[in-house]
Amino acid sequence: MKTKHTLMAALTALALVGCGKAPDPKAAEETPTKQAEATPALSMEAPKLSIFCWSEYIPQSVIDEFSQETGIAVSVENYASNEEMLAKLLAGGGSYDIIQPSEYVVGALIKEDLLMPIDHSKIPNLKNLDPRFVNMSFDPGNKFSVPFMAGSVGIVVNTEMVTEEIKSFSDVFQDKYAGKIVVLDDAREIVSWGLQSLGIPVNDVSDENLAKVKPVISKWLPLVKVYDSDSPKTALLNGDVTIGVVWGGEGAILLNADKKFKWVIPAEGTHLFVDSLAVPKTAKHPGNAQAFMDFILRPEISAKISEAFPYLNPNLAARALLTPEQLANAASFPTDEELAKMQTFEDIGQQASKVDEMVTSLKVQ
Amino acid sequence: MSAVASSLFPFKLRDARRWLSGPRLQMSLFGAWTAVVFAFLYIPIVLLVVFSFNSSRLNIRWEGFSLRWYGELFANKTLIMAFQNSMLVACATTVLATVLGTIGAWMLYRYRFPFQRAIGLLIFVPMVMPEVLMGVSLLVLFVQLLNLPLGFTTLIIAHTTFCFPFVLVGVQARLHGLDPAMEEAAMDLGATPVQAFWKVIVPYLMPAIVSGALMSFTLSLDEYIVSVFTTGAQSQTLPLKVFGMAKVGLNPQLNALSTLFIVGTFVILIGSEILTRNKKHT
Amino acid sequence: MAGAAPIPIGATGPASYRRKPGLVAWLVLAPLLIWLVLFIVIPTAMLVMVSFAERDSLGRVVYNFTFDNYLRAFDWVWLKVLIDSVWYAFLTTVICMAVGFPVAYFIGRAPVQWRGILLMLVMVPFWTSFLIRTYAWITILSRDGIVNGLLVASGIFAEPVTLLYTPFAIVLGLVYNFLPFMILPIYTSVERLDGAMIEAAYDLGAGPTRAFAQVIIPLTSPGITAGALLVFIPSIAMFAITTLMGGGANPTIGEVIFKQFTSGRNQPFGAALGTLLLVIFVVALWLTRRQREQD
Repeated sequence: MKTKHTLMAALTALALVGCGKAPDPKAAEETPTKQAEATPALSMEAPKLSIFCWSEYIPQSVIDEFSQETGIAVSVENYASNEEMLAKLLAGGGSYDIIQPSEYVVGALIKEDLLMPIDHSKIPNLKNLDPRFVNMSFDPGNKFSVPFMAGSVGIVVNTEMVTEEIKSFSDVFQDKYAGKIVVLDDAREIVSWGLQSLGIPVNDVSDENLAKVKPVISKWLPLVKVYDSDSPKTALLNGDVTIGVVWGGEGAILLNADKKFKWVIPAEGTHLFVDSLAVPKTAKHPGNAQAFMDFILRPEISAKISEAFPYLNPNLAARALLTPEQLANAASFPTDEELAKMQTFEDIGQQASKVDEMVTSLKVQ
Repeated sequence: MSAVASSLFPFKLRDARRWLSGPRLQMSLFGAWTAVVFAFLYIPIVLLVVFSFNSSRLNIRWEGFSLRWYGELFANKTLIMAFQNSMLVACATTVLATVLGTIGAWMLYRYRFPFQRAIGLLIFVPMVMPEVLMGVSLLVLFVQLLNLPLGFTTLIIAHTTFCFPFVLVGVQARLHGLDPAMEEAAMDLGATPVQAFWKVIVPYLMPAIVSGALMSFTLSLDEYIVSVFTTGAQSQTLPLKVFGMAKVGLNPQLNALSTLFIVGTFVILIGSEILTRNKKHT
Repeated sequence: MAGAAPIPIGATGPASYRRKPGLVAWLVLAPLLIWLVLFIVIPTAMLVMVSFAERDSLGRVVYNFTFDNYLRAFDWVWLKVLIDSVWYAFLTTVICMAVGFPVAYFIGRAPVQWRGILLMLVMVPFWTSFLIRTYAWITILSRDGIVNGLLVASGIFAEPVTLLYTPFAIVLGLVYNFLPFMILPIYTSVERLDGAMIEAAYDLGAGPTRAFAQVIIPLTSPGITAGALLVFIPSIAMFAITTLMGGGANPTIGEVIFKQFTSGRNQPFGAALGTLLLVIFVVALWLTRRQREQD
């Protein structure tokens, strides 16, 4: 009986602790707001905005500032991959006003007519953008999306353990580095590196090209120790691996953490990813969504986002506000020639399945 | 000769042999092993508590003492809200799962229901099915078939669905070998089946019920994938916020949160122990 | 072996004891039945339906009947992944049993006032976030970590050993996370043990190992079996731990299915793999029941 009483008491107490400050569902949506005049864009809609975005991409302070200035209550849901977002969006689970798809998903969504066109007159701050990131192939004329942050995939080298110079994918995947490499756990990425090392455009993922790239990948994969798309920096920081092919954001964190890490853009070229903000067709508050887009494009707001998350900021006006150190971070801001060699992904539809199967089968062997 | 020997040694030889080969040695050995296992269980916990005081942002190397993460944690509304949501969902799930599992196990044991085997099988399905499949199919069920808005209700239903089998299996194990005479005796003394259940069976099942509740609570607290698909914006739980943080390095605020939670649990444990002991003495 | 206890999957009372359910009994069982139908049967049925469907380029399900997914599933790639996952699950279960039984026994036979606390002590580590726990293990096992530090300092090894991102790390991670699910059910069986019976077994001259094997284990076998089920079954589909600790080089079936919903863009194929898993489980369960009935 003692056991029973102890445990009952404990559970009840825990319940009280947990339920005592009962989360008010409204409280999660509404952040304290002042009586602000609504900007013209928000005329007929309810002052609400539902954002569905990557975790750790939009700082809470930015969202709070938007709320306070416009009086719009913002609710945020996160996802950890584009496909997670797609699955929930397509099942009709939530009604989201803003989503944050990567470039190849934007292309796919536009093709399937799932996005609402945006009104450029409501987003005057579009002029702040770097012309190289506007009017890109996946959304000509930016009819549906506004670039948020970009980044590249690149090579990180622990120069204390690796003395020779690494300049390309082929340099990374050598037998002497067997068991010392970390790569992204993304079949499409891996295959794209193989394609680039063969000089084939990354979006040309036909069965033929897959057959051509398979022997290359099958030589590379046995050398890999860790596959990690979420935090490849962990393995590098822990000393378990000495070379990595990782996202630019990870690279930037590593460069800031320890001077021994060096960032290299592969000579064969690499993937430039562009994450954008877009409005799904089912959005209930498109006006507020566009106001948010305009807000994000303000130089000082964009600079704040860069400060929190060191990615490639496509906002020229914001870049003018960044510190020299931030701009000098090679992983965040590639040079112009490096940028010229990069390719964005396009949606490859059902070939994605074959790509995934090929990489899995090579992993398993 | 043996009389002298036995007067010299306070223990009889038989007693010594008994201690060496009997239950008591077993308990000592097992006790030592338990201590080792507990050390194993708590190694990462000690590390994460230590790192909650680490001045470095990345949880890799110790760089100095600092309380800043605790300060930042209290200012982090989203994290605290997520934590509260997790606790709420976990508590509700525990209650529901325990009730469903216990009553289910008992009814299947006591009565001859026609599709016994099918039920026994279906109960294992949430355990066998990978979480992503359960999450997506429940999402489709909620949104397209039942027209339920995603939020706390759907989340709790989803969590309960994969937690209650753990309770049920545990209670079934305890029911095995239950003496039927127990219930019959109670009914002979005038109790209705319901009363017999409450006053005789439930106390007997209590360790299994409590075990099941503990397992449910634990499972619900850490559930990520199913939550991704079945939650709404206002019911974001802690794992949902945490899993994305790996990208920028897990914030030591999480370490601070976990440390506080563990400390809080211990305080409650010890507190309730003291209270129950005092009650006994007065 | 004499006295082997039956496997209590779906424990039911002795035939004479069980009654035919009256209206009240049906009403009491109803919530469970409704729950089963709504939240288990229907989703599973949808899953099986989807496994026979196709998908469009965006990954959405298109309901055209096809066997393609199953034909694809019977490829050595997926079967090997499945076998690996089952093997890891099996290892984990066996190790959890060996490691967890003495703990459960100790707690179950400890003085009554300590049992609650000891149980809570077992669970509390798992109320921290799973991700921080696992990253803590990664830090501990890494080349620059504590374990390697000790191994090298004590002279056992000249250089740090690769502990992480190996099958060893995977099993360690799995055992760590599933240990409570073995300890708790065994505890509930141990707690039932009559102290007098155990003392009697020893007094009657049984050596410690015989007393253990022929009295204690059979008496606690319901708990052991329950623990085995609660560890083995969920760990097959587990993937977050295996991916983090194993480095992703040893994919498990859970991970493969998850990928079908993300980069693989092939939900029907994922559903097919999941359905296969279910079928395998049902068959295994049916075989064990038949075996039991034959005994």
